[in-house]
Amino acid sequence: MEIFSGVLYGFQVALQPINLLYCFIGVFIGTLVGVLPGLGPAAAIALLLPSTFAASPVAAIIMLAGIYYGAMYGGSTTSILVNIPGEAASVVTCLDGYVMARQGRAGAALGIAAFGSFIAGTLSVIALTFLAPFLARVTLRFGPPEYFALMALGLTLLTFFARESTVKALMMAAVGLLCGTVGQDTISGRFRFAFGIRTLEDGLGLVPVIMGLFGISEVLLNLEQREQRRDIFAPPTTGLLPTRQDWRDSSVPILRGSVLGFFLGILPGAGAIIASFASYAVEKRASRHPERFGAGAIEGVAGPEAANNAAAGGAFIPLLTLGIPANAVMAILLGALMIHGLQPGPLLVKQAPDVFWGIITSMYIGNAMLLVLNLPLIPMWARLLRVPYSVMYPFILLFCLIGAYSVTNNVGDGIVMWVFGIVGYLLKKFDYEGAPLILAMVIGPMMEEALRQSLILSAGSFDIFVSRPIAAGFLAAAAVLLILPLMRRR
Amino acid sequence: MARDRVSGLAWLAVALFAAAQGLSLGLGSLHRPGPGFFPFWGGVALGLLSILLVVRTPARDTPGAPRLRPDTARPFVAAGAILGYLLLLEVLGFVPVTFLFLLLLFRLERRGWAFSAVSAAAGAVGAYALFQLWLKTQLPSGPLGF
Repeated sequence: MEIFSGVLYGFQVALQPINLLYCFIGVFIGTLVGVLPGLGPAAAIALLLPSTFAASPVAAIIMLAGIYYGAMYGGSTTSILVNIPGEAASVVTCLDGYVMARQGRAGAALGIAAFGSFIAGTLSVIALTFLAPFLARVTLRFGPPEYFALMALGLTLLTFFARESTVKALMMAAVGLLCGTVGQDTISGRFRFAFGIRTLEDGLGLVPVIMGLFGISEVLLNLEQREQRRDIFAPPTTGLLPTRQDWRDSSVPILRGSVLGFFLGILPGAGAIIASFASYAVEKRASRHPERFGAGAIEGVAGPEAANNAAAGGAFIPLLTLGIPANAVMAILLGALMIHGLQPGPLLVKQAPDVFWGIITSMYIGNAMLLVLNLPLIPMWARLLRVPYSVMYPFILLFCLIGAYSVTNNVGDGIVMWVFGIVGYLLKKFDYEGAPLILAMVIGPMMEEALRQSLILSAGSFDIFVSRPIAAGFLAAAAVLLILPLMRRR
Repeated sequence: MARDRVSGLAWLAVALFAAAQGLSLGLGSLHRPGPGFFPFWGGVALGLLSILLVVRTPARDTPGAPRLRPDTARPFVAAGAILGYLLLLEVLGFVPVTFLFLLLLFRLERRGWAFSAVSAAAGAVGAYALFQLWLKTQLPSGPLGF
């Protein structure tokens, strides 16, 4: 019953005209970001965060969340029509989606991607609706030791899902922890790694760091290649509705992708990208005709596209119930909530029910908007892809510069972005991933505080982490995850 | 890949620096960690992992690995343009700096002077209208007042 009244209240909030407008702007920009290669949702949300300062917290988060799941829709369009992933979670969609387009079935591919995304997005919001309040009640009883143990587990999970090497992912997490310590220590008041620079004394800003690592560095890397002419398939205006046979082939993959994506979305570091790859692998294995994969199998579009949308919903669970971000996008949303004076975590549902329920229900609305937005507007998005990169990237850089500056009206933050842009560029060249760095940078200070509080609670005894069963369980799981991959060669 | 050795050694240097900073900040005791506790152990962890990476990596590059140095100067020019933008932003003001920034990048892409100048001017004024006038972002103004 509690959930029903919550959902009802949420719709009252989300259906207010101003919130509807922000939701629409969010999913619209999200689709745009998804369609355009070279600008991912993390950088885009960081970019637009300052523009939400004037809005109410609910409206701000509704819009920023809309960008995230909107990007999951938009990414498929570019994958199918151009064979370039519009954003990272749509990489696998290229495999069969582009082949389908070459076979003249672009309409079916785009249609099933949109419908699959809608179904999965909605299913995962339903799961979120029921699971989040329940989990928030459970985690309410967590004290600092449980939090510390859970975050330790989260960080190791993050590296467990690393695509490159585990050692490098762990290194990035360590670098992130160090980045998180920059600034004034809350307990002793001493400055760490600030070197007398005012911008650093306040700590590294999340927005400039993310825009550097995911925005600037991406542009610099793209500039290494001379632009090639993109072969864009003329987008179909008819035939977007999947046939009965398409539905028969796709319905199970969509359901499977939804479940898989939702649960992978919850885990730190897994998220939409891993979910889409996992779904593709599962569908190929489950298929009676695995040889059709890569040759235009509609299941290979439906499953992964469902999975990446479901993952976007699942990722909200740790944020809303624990205040722990599961990926870089959630890290910015965490920052956004805090900027708006809210403390994400188990108390959010009690302290700010309008935000908690407003965000969740806005996703039902946003998903419906996206379905409407995506199908008829595909020709428009495709036209946008004809804008050459050499005209587009100066504006991407400009928006990053304005975004970094306008958070605190401080050129220093722009310099931080520039430095992390160069660092991110080098990291990519040397095959490191940026995501563990960001998560560790956000989780690090929370972990440090939880550790110190735990030790104050226990008067300095580490027994507190062993004698409390939940904390001990999390830490044991973390230890296993940490040791297993290191034992394997490489 | 041998490049892992290069990056590993670079991170080792960062790790040593962090650990040294941690030490000078004060570790506190194990039971009452001080401000240097996290930096120190973070540095130690990074250092150990870097050594592990370096030791595991064969000294010779595997043939066929992509080259590190790009064939074009575009990334460097763009990076320089970003830095220049930031250094000049509060001196010249938003609109002039944005105009120069866009002009430079369009010229870098070998667009004609006319196209570059018109697009850069439109971009600068458009961004000013969008961010300053509509979204009410506080952008720095220069001697010209915008």
